[in-house]
Amino acid sequence: MAANSDPKANIVDSLEAILFVADSPVALEVLARELGVTQGQVSQALEILAERLHANGSIQLVELAGGFQLSTKPEFAELIGSFLSPQRQKLSRSLMEVLAIVAYKQPVTMGDVEKVRGVQSDYSIRALLERRLIREVGRKIAPGRPVLYGTTQQFLHQFNLKALDQLPPLDSVTEEAANIIRHEGPSLFD
Amino acid sequence: MAPRRDPNEKALATLSSVGVIAPPPIQVESPKFSGSLAALFVCVRDRKVDLLDIPLFPICSAYFLYLAESEQISLDEAAAALTALAYLLERKAWALLPVAEPEPEFDDPMELMEPYVHEFALAIEQLRTLHEERTHQFFRPQDAGPDPYELPYTLEEIEPADLARALARLLSRATPEKPEVLGGPRRSLTEQMKLVLAALTTDWASLDSLVKEPFTRQEAVWWFLALLELIRLGQVNVQVSEEDVQFRRKV
Repeated sequence: MAANSDPKANIVDSLEAILFVADSPVALEVLARELGVTQGQVSQALEILAERLHANGSIQLVELAGGFQLSTKPEFAELIGSFLSPQRQKLSRSLMEVLAIVAYKQPVTMGDVEKVRGVQSDYSIRALLERRLIREVGRKIAPGRPVLYGTTQQFLHQFNLKALDQLPPLDSVTEEAANIIRHEGPSLFD
Repeated sequence: MAPRRDPNEKALATLSSVGVIAPPPIQVESPKFSGSLAALFVCVRDRKVDLLDIPLFPICSAYFLYLAESEQISLDEAAAALTALAYLLERKAWALLPVAEPEPEFDDPMELMEPYVHEFALAIEQLRTLHEERTHQFFRPQDAGPDPYELPYTLEEIEPADLARALARLLSRATPEKPEVLGGPRRSLTEQMKLVLAALTTDWASLDSLVKEPFTRQEAVWWFLALLELIRLGQVNVQVSEEDVQFRRKV
């Protein structure tokens, strides 16, 4: 099949080509700039591309970390997982705890994290920094100028989040927890 | 307001709020408080009700009625009631007196004890689920860039053996090195690279001609390492000329 002489003529195919070679999410405005079209046109083309990929093949369009990227479909996970090595490392309970606290309370100092957890957390902070899930975002104006931590784009990528506002709301989570406690029956203080 | 026995008052009757003996079950009914004399005593003592809002006269009347009407009065109970009433009257009297300064406010109730990581428990579970789902998707891996320990490009016809020969030749001309003075300053590779760059021109030159005699074996190694690093960074060109390799500053 001959290639189109003007790659921008077919926006959907052009988008697919760009996203195929991209190794990180590409923002809507970047795609629009590269193709010389409006962001609305890119959005429409992305919808068409998503439907097309959804219908056929092993690749899907994913919106995450502030952009769009191609990934394999979940049904091929086992096959690809065995093909790739080494296997991905899972996050331990303590790392998840620290990550959640940083995600919800950011920017946050190590002291703040330890205050919530009640245990020393320097190892977990270091491990999350090494995995590039959190990063230093500044220093708190307080004695000692402690480092403030926040989450990274890599965090959004690893948790399939488009942006931080997609985090499960903590209030509803707390309410849900309260409901569970209520349904568990009378407590010691009832 | 009259003394009457209420089954619900049994607990208060058996457990004194005032002291060892509980006061008689004198019931207090007012717009701001409803309960027994013992309960009123406890609430006033614990600052749960404002005594200024509760008239004491009906309570005193009820106490006198209790004394007058009860056939078998327990002196201990009567004394307990009197003690409670005296306490209430004294407190109210003090409350009615003008005060120079307002009463200090009591501390706020204690906040929940930390840690409170449990508040994040369900959020953590939801994040874990998201993470688990994410592990079923695979993306094109990010390019880590050139390994700093690998040459960024091939040197085409230049073989490592050519470079090794150039070093061997230089080392053969080196004089025995001076014994190292302990604690002396150590030369950095960056400094040596500056020195080598200063010695290089855009004309091709062999390693032998670059390093001026006399030099030690250690200095020869430093020259060679600096040249390798400059080649890796793309600042120095290298070529094979007859049986030797030649270097020059990148044009």
